[in-house]
Amino acid sequence: MDRKELEAKVIELVAMSYNKAEGEVTLETSFKDDLKGASVQMVALVAEIENELDAMVALQDASACATVKDLVDKVEEEL
Amino acid sequence: MSSILDQIYEKAKLNPQKVAFPEATNEKMMQAAYETGKDGYIIPILVGNAEEIKALATERGYDLSVFTIVDINEEEYKNKIIADYVALPDTRLKEKALGRRMQDPLYYAMAMQAVGEADVTFAGIDNTTGDVLLAGQMIIGLKPGISTISSIGLADIPGYEGSEGSLLAVGDSAVCTNPDPEQLASIAISACDTVRELLGWEPRCAMVSYSTLGSGQGPLIDKVTEALKIANELRPDLAIDGEFQLDAAIVPAVAEKKVKRESKVAGKANVLIWPDLNVGNTAVKLIQQFGHANAYGPMLQGFNSIVCDCSRGAPVSEIKGNVVISAVRAAGSKQ
Repeated sequence: MDRKELEAKVIELVAMSYNKAEGEVTLETSFKDDLKGASVQMVALVAEIENELDAMVALQDASACATVKDLVDKVEEEL
Repeated sequence: MSSILDQIYEKAKLNPQKVAFPEATNEKMMQAAYETGKDGYIIPILVGNAEEIKALATERGYDLSVFTIVDINEEEYKNKIIADYVALPDTRLKEKALGRRMQDPLYYAMAMQAVGEADVTFAGIDNTTGDVLLAGQMIIGLKPGISTISSIGLADIPGYEGSEGSLLAVGDSAVCTNPDPEQLASIAISACDTVRELLGWEPRCAMVSYSTLGSGQGPLIDKVTEALKIANELRPDLAIDGEFQLDAAIVPAVAEKKVKRESKVAGKANVLIWPDLNVGNTAVKLIQQFGHANAYGPMLQGFNSIVCDCSRGAPVSEIKGNVVISAVRAAGSKQ
């Protein structure tokens, strides 16, 4: 999977976990300001990343990500 | 009169529940599992490397017949759990990801619980609270309509004569730091369910604030009234009311003066919900320091079934108490 595909997949999983339309989520989307999710959504996201991408990102690492791009970087490290 | 904990122990014996211990090799944990199991309060299931567990139990002089030992390296049973788990509706992890997570006994125990092979998962002596909460949210999941994990404590306050004698349930004093209105509603709803499961109380739950029914104004109060509205809409069956100052919540004479409308809760609340953790943590310290209360908990709530996280420094006696409390909650939640 190249970087572009990975970005698209992570965006899809973020949108699903936070109940957003895919078009609403970009690499620049901020977890805190735009998605305003609680830890429950982040747990769902981490689980989806494990299911779909076979990458285990620790919840605290995922929670430390400011934007979706940061999360893509983290997932890439784990692949 | 016997203490509330003695009564809970007696209740546990009437209907012993299966408690899974994913940190079974830990000396204090194994002792707590053994003693509560041997005396018939619970059915202890030790989850981990079976050989290691057996060797340690023998070395420590325990009768192995008290324990059910589940070997996380045994493929057949693990595959059965995985198959049953992925067949459940609304579970998060798929087969492969779950299989990998289940190499960790904490996840293994919770997967067993999710499929009904255990009633409670009891951990927290080697794992951090964060580990336990994450595993619980991932594997057990939250109850429908509940938006956060939270906790309540049970205070036994000498000299307090409230609607449940010297007992008062309070929350959240430990887990959810700064709940938004939806989360605060979740805390109140979960607290009502917890006291009903554990103690058989008819919950009367007060949302506490520095204002009583609009006597003050501002965003701190708005959060509480908004939470109350959400809680009442989600669970009209529960007596949750507010916003009340603490005295209006628990003192009948003050309630009579300040609450000029019908309320099932004012003046006789048996559950108090704090607006945030600053209040909750401080309030519990006040009850302990000045009220000389015995406090039991924190009991985690909001999960689909009972998950218990004990403090890492807990002595065996405290672990045993928490094991038995969580078992009684599990039995109560089935009714």
